[in-house]
Amino acid sequence: MACALVAVGRSFGDAKKVTGNADTNSAETADEAPAEKPFQLGNLITPFTPPPLEEIEKSVEWIDRPVLDGMELLRKKQEAAGSSVTTEEALTLRNDSPEHNEKILTALGRVPPADGAGVDYNSSWVRHVPGDLKSSNPLFISSITEFEFRKMTGFEYLSYDESINYFAPAEYVVSWKSSKDGLMDKIVLRDDVVWSDGRPITADDIKFSFQVIMTDAVIVPAVRTGVDQLKWVEAFDDRTVVFFHKEPLATNTVNIEFPVIPKHVYQKSIAEDPTMARSAYHAKLEDHPIVGGPYELVRRSRNQEFVVRRRENFYKPHGKQVRAKPYFKEIRVKVIEDFNTALVALKGGQIEEMFIRPEQWVNQTNDANFYKRNTKVTAVEWTEFHFIWNTETPFFSDSRVRQAMSFAMDYEELLKVVCQGLYQPARGPYHPTSWMFPKNGPQPYQQDFVQAEKLLDEAGWTDSDGDGIRDKLIDGKRVPFEFTMLTYQTETGVMAATLMKMSLDQIGVICHVKPTEFTVLIDRQQKHRFDAAMAGWGSGTDPDGSRNSYATGEARNSGLYSNRRVDELFEKGLRELDPEKRAAIYGEIHMILWEDQPYTWLFYRNAFYAFSKKVRAYNFAPTGPYLFDPGIHSIYKPVSN
Amino acid sequence: MDELELIPPAIAGPPPAGGFWREVWRHFRRRKLAMLALSFVVFLCLVALFAPMIAGTKPIICKYKGRIYFPCMGYYVRSWENPIFRQDRMLHHYPTRLKELDPKSWAMWPLVYQDPYWRVRDNEWPGRPGNPWGINGKPSRLNWFGTDQQGFDVFAQMVHGTQIALSVGFVSMGIASVIGITVGALAGYLGGWVDMLLSRIIELVMCIPSLVLILALVAMLDNVTNYHLMAIVGITSWTGIARLARAEFLKLKQMEFVTAARAMGASWPRIVFLHVLRNALAPVLVPITFGIAAAILVESGLSYLGFGASPPNPSWGTLLKAGRSAIEQMWWLILFPGLAIFLTVLAYNLIGEALQEATDPRLRQVT
Repeated sequence: MACALVAVGRSFGDAKKVTGNADTNSAETADEAPAEKPFQLGNLITPFTPPPLEEIEKSVEWIDRPVLDGMELLRKKQEAAGSSVTTEEALTLRNDSPEHNEKILTALGRVPPADGAGVDYNSSWVRHVPGDLKSSNPLFISSITEFEFRKMTGFEYLSYDESINYFAPAEYVVSWKSSKDGLMDKIVLRDDVVWSDGRPITADDIKFSFQVIMTDAVIVPAVRTGVDQLKWVEAFDDRTVVFFHKEPLATNTVNIEFPVIPKHVYQKSIAEDPTMARSAYHAKLEDHPIVGGPYELVRRSRNQEFVVRRRENFYKPHGKQVRAKPYFKEIRVKVIEDFNTALVALKGGQIEEMFIRPEQWVNQTNDANFYKRNTKVTAVEWTEFHFIWNTETPFFSDSRVRQAMSFAMDYEELLKVVCQGLYQPARGPYHPTSWMFPKNGPQPYQQDFVQAEKLLDEAGWTDSDGDGIRDKLIDGKRVPFEFTMLTYQTETGVMAATLMKMSLDQIGVICHVKPTEFTVLIDRQQKHRFDAAMAGWGSGTDPDGSRNSYATGEARNSGLYSNRRVDELFEKGLRELDPEKRAAIYGEIHMILWEDQPYTWLFYRNAFYAFSKKVRAYNFAPTGPYLFDPGIHSIYKPVSN
Repeated sequence: MDELELIPPAIAGPPPAGGFWREVWRHFRRRKLAMLALSFVVFLCLVALFAPMIAGTKPIICKYKGRIYFPCMGYYVRSWENPIFRQDRMLHHYPTRLKELDPKSWAMWPLVYQDPYWRVRDNEWPGRPGNPWGINGKPSRLNWFGTDQQGFDVFAQMVHGTQIALSVGFVSMGIASVIGITVGALAGYLGGWVDMLLSRIIELVMCIPSLVLILALVAMLDNVTNYHLMAIVGITSWTGIARLARAEFLKLKQMEFVTAARAMGASWPRIVFLHVLRNALAPVLVPITFGIAAAILVESGLSYLGFGASPPNPSWGTLLKAGRSAIEQMWWLILFPGLAIFLTVLAYNLIGEALQEATDPRLRQVT
């Protein structure tokens, strides 16, 4: 699972995840699917006959991989760390300093005891999302709303903790082993995991899901990336599944993690309707999907809300409790596109959680009205925002021009005023708290018009006719330095681009700002139909996810940047298994990109969330508060409420 | 007694005819609200015309390195600000850089040192603090109408926004008037198949929603300017004018003066545009006035929705949009531009109403 493209100043509702494989570009739609070709399950997989399990066991040396209870892991960490304030004290605090933020997080983030004492199991939780659930089928996850839906309802045989360390969740998996040569992973499932229709979840479901993902007639927007690096997935019995890798890669662990759908539900229907959405049968499944996770979808009103309810046969598959009971009886997820409306709903108690925008954090969530029912927290998130320069245009093909653009930007005003002092200055593609950030990483750019003008002069962009606009002779024609910057329609997006425009105006460069609807913005970036554009990447769990943003010819390399050394390093990084050496490789990539400035990196955005005071145990990973393990599943309401 | 002496001087001859327009003006003047509205519009026109001299950070006139310049003209057209100021890194630093680079220089400044496109920073004007932003930007001595989220002065934006509001109204309705009157005149005067054809075209254009056209245009163009909006509003809102003009021409072409002109051998374009048009103009003025108000509302609405001209666009609608996200805290972003839009639209509507009454004897109030 790679990076997510995010919208500035708003929640991840619009976030998109794009396939890294140019052949399976997410811009494809179901209508463009090759309709005439006969359906062939797994036709993108090169035929392979796996050896019998006995033979594998004899020849392969296995390394044990962690099988853990994510909740227990977090509980132990929290017990060791302790908390300086009580829950009651934390509830009275106002989050007006990093110290208070830390106190609120540590006190209200504490997970309940293992026996669930104090948890109100009859409670329900009302969440907010800014964008609707487009599909309940986990293969079609694209936006963060869908990723979070999958977290609530999906069966996951692999997960990661808040520090992005992968493990197999003990509630589903008995054992996980990797072969020493890095060419195989073996997972043995528990025998008491069932789908919501009562049928057991088997290794065959995983194999079937792999085959579906690797079928060209099935248009999966995001999940084929990484999965396409697998040679084969074999179910040797109901519980044992072996993943065969094409080669030992550093991303092997990430590659074997994909959504699972029930084979018995889709086996017969998929050939007739590879879109898995159009036929009456599939349409019905969209509203009543068969799921393998703790919750199941029970109600769905398009563009209004969807409701998931605790599955009794998840924790009591055969009438006897075998795993922890999910904390909520019901989770209602309300779709409210407008953040101001959502905040009013939060203050009024109609919703009990929301991602808040920086201006809301600063201006609208400090009064008694907000703190009456809610509190707020912030945490580091590996999300950066930037301006992309299209290197194929005559303006930005020269790295000196791109550097000049970076020197022209007024970062002080950007961070202080536009970002309300809440974000950190960007220092390149990787977050300074991540392991791939170079040891002596670059310092942020500072506005320097003298340097910017010098670089533009060197690149041949001078004001030859004295009209106050720089120009250059290109193919015998004098071209003025005048370009269009596409940006988000959000306040932060428009203000950041406008600030750039005003800065460039001072060095004789004309920039037209065009606020663009999110899907159009993405479309134009994918088709390279832009001069410059604002964008943001939410970092994935592995730096290889950034390959398709910076490597030559990759799907998300919308600025068409190309550097042979960067390409080589990405290849090297993929195959380097030693963590330190790998970090050095990505550190070098970071430094080259910083030197070349295919983007002007602007800022790193933190996560800002408001929670009802009734809610407890929210914790954050660099990917946000929900997608790690336990993530959303640790959140509960105490009995006293 | 001489017979002539018996004739009183008062009836020695009829008073000179006031003419139609003088009569209209006489009746218009009687309506106090309409006169107030007209004065308000004249005031707005003056504000729009002299906006850079009222609020700005560029000198109205300055002497720099021995030459006289008018940097504030850069607010009208970028190239009208001499490039020497960009080269000397003067932008947003005029007060300090002018003296720094030429101690003998002098400058005359706008009434209010604030910029619609820029947050005034600390000591940009020596000894003066920078503009606050966000909820701290309440109306104050330095920022009369407060500042927006980015610290841009609201008063400066409103003053420069007046240019947008008025120009959108005038230009779009100018375009609409030219098209509408021409089409209506030809349809009404020529009649027959021309009338049939033009009337169908009018009906066709009436079916085109200008908002959809504008949205399509905004989607297609990379750099949307207010001129684009003016053009679209203009070419989609001429139908009412055309229908009125047609009706007037249908009526007037039967009049004796037209027959006389025809008998004297005047060509039809001469009759249409010289003789009939001046008589048909009065009723047409009414929809034009209402149209200006509507165009201002359309522009403000589009900017409010984020489909206006490319930013930075100091339109009243843009300010309203900025206020929407923090309506509880930043009331000044709603109050001042909202009031400006309301008063301007009201003024045009009052003028239109008064014109309607003044030009149509049947509607005149009995005084």
